[in-house]
Amino acid sequence: MCPTLAKSFMGNKQKKFSKIYDQYIEKIYRFVFLKVSSQEIAQDICSETFLKGWQVYKKNNKIKNFSAFLYRIARNLVIDHYRQKGKKQFIPLESVAILDTNPGLEEKAIISSDLEEIRANLVNLKDDYQNVIIWHYLDDLPIQKVAEIMEKSEGATRVVLHRALTALKQEISKKDIKQA
Amino acid sequence: MTEKNIVNQIKQLKQIKPQKDWVFSLKTDLFKDEAKESFVFFPLFKPALACLTMFTLFFGLFGFAQTSVPGDFLYPVKKIAEKGQLAFVSQENRPQNSLAMADRRLEELIKIVESNQVKNLATAINEVESSVSEVAKNISRIEATSSSPIAIKNIVDKTKKLEFRIEEIRALGVVIGGEELQEVSAGLEVKVLLSDLENRTLTEEEEQVLDQMKKLAEEKEYQKVLELFFSEFDKKEEIKQDIEQEQEEEEETQEIEE
Repeated sequence: MCPTLAKSFMGNKQKKFSKIYDQYIEKIYRFVFLKVSSQEIAQDICSETFLKGWQVYKKNNKIKNFSAFLYRIARNLVIDHYRQKGKKQFIPLESVAILDTNPGLEEKAIISSDLEEIRANLVNLKDDYQNVIIWHYLDDLPIQKVAEIMEKSEGATRVVLHRALTALKQEISKKDIKQA
Repeated sequence: MTEKNIVNQIKQLKQIKPQKDWVFSLKTDLFKDEAKESFVFFPLFKPALACLTMFTLFFGLFGFAQTSVPGDFLYPVKKIAEKGQLAFVSQENRPQNSLAMADRRLEELIKIVESNQVKNLATAINEVESSVSEVAKNISRIEATSSSPIAIKNIVDKTKKLEFRIEEIRALGVVIGGEELQEVSAGLEVKVLLSDLENRTLTEEEEQVLDQMKKLAEEKEYQKVLELFFSEFDKKEEIKQDIEQEQEEEEETQEIEE
């Protein structure tokens, strides 16, 4: 292939991926951070997510709903992270909660205690519930997009969302009762 | 707690954001290898084409540089090419080569004078003066005994032509140095002359004149050497040739009468 042509194709792909990056970097960072509660780890996982994403995008930029693909990479990397940490495995992913929800001492200062409380409540839920809440309410993804990421139907996704909110409500109530 | 309250609580987590400089540096890192790749792509994957292009550019550049004059952007390229060629010139060919270079510099100066490129004039003059010094240096190294007489005659002729051209430019009002050229070329003529005379069988009187000439040559009084030669040797030579010619003419006339 003529090198000038190749260069302009690459330049084009770079521009498009740049747009995707700009749109999703904060969302994916937040998604990962909420689960790992460490800025450093969140940055590492995020970097790896976008790096992998870019390698795939370079070869095939026709993937539909590339953002869903990025979320899935991020989610899997978080899981790998916990597996490496030697924590309890979650099998199957959807039904078990992620452990180690307590932030390290040095990380506690990064978010306020109020936010930390909300975060802690959220991550006590099982993974699927967490994800659907994050993607729909924090990342403002419509149900259709969330469904694509979860590889479920829209209907099934709405059900999961409803159940997620109920579970969170219970979690908050449990905490309130404990504090009381 | 209503669903709305819970959702509002959740939305507070939107405050969690990454550091801006990290966001920027990650983006830069992602694409930095692309710049490297596309840079190396050309020579790595198409070496033949790359080589061909490089050669074409290289020689094309030298080609364009040939018509440049001092002060032009490509002039240094021309000088570099000439220096490169000089590496292949043998010691005995250096005088010829330096004469050719001096000619070129003169051509360039003439171009500049004719086109009134005032800003390039000083540079061009310097170039001429340097090239003339080079000629003088190379000529002074010529050993009259080891070089062929024809080659030396050639060099002397060309040097005289060069001097003549320089004089023409001086007549236009351009101040050019390079006075050493005259002295050096005269020195060479004298060297050749003396060497030639030494190889002849001379009378005692002629030997004395030769000694005088040698002394004058050592003092660099080349003009006096030549004057002495013309008055003592060359005149005699002239008379000798005149006599021979007369004799030839007589013989011809006799033949016709017969």
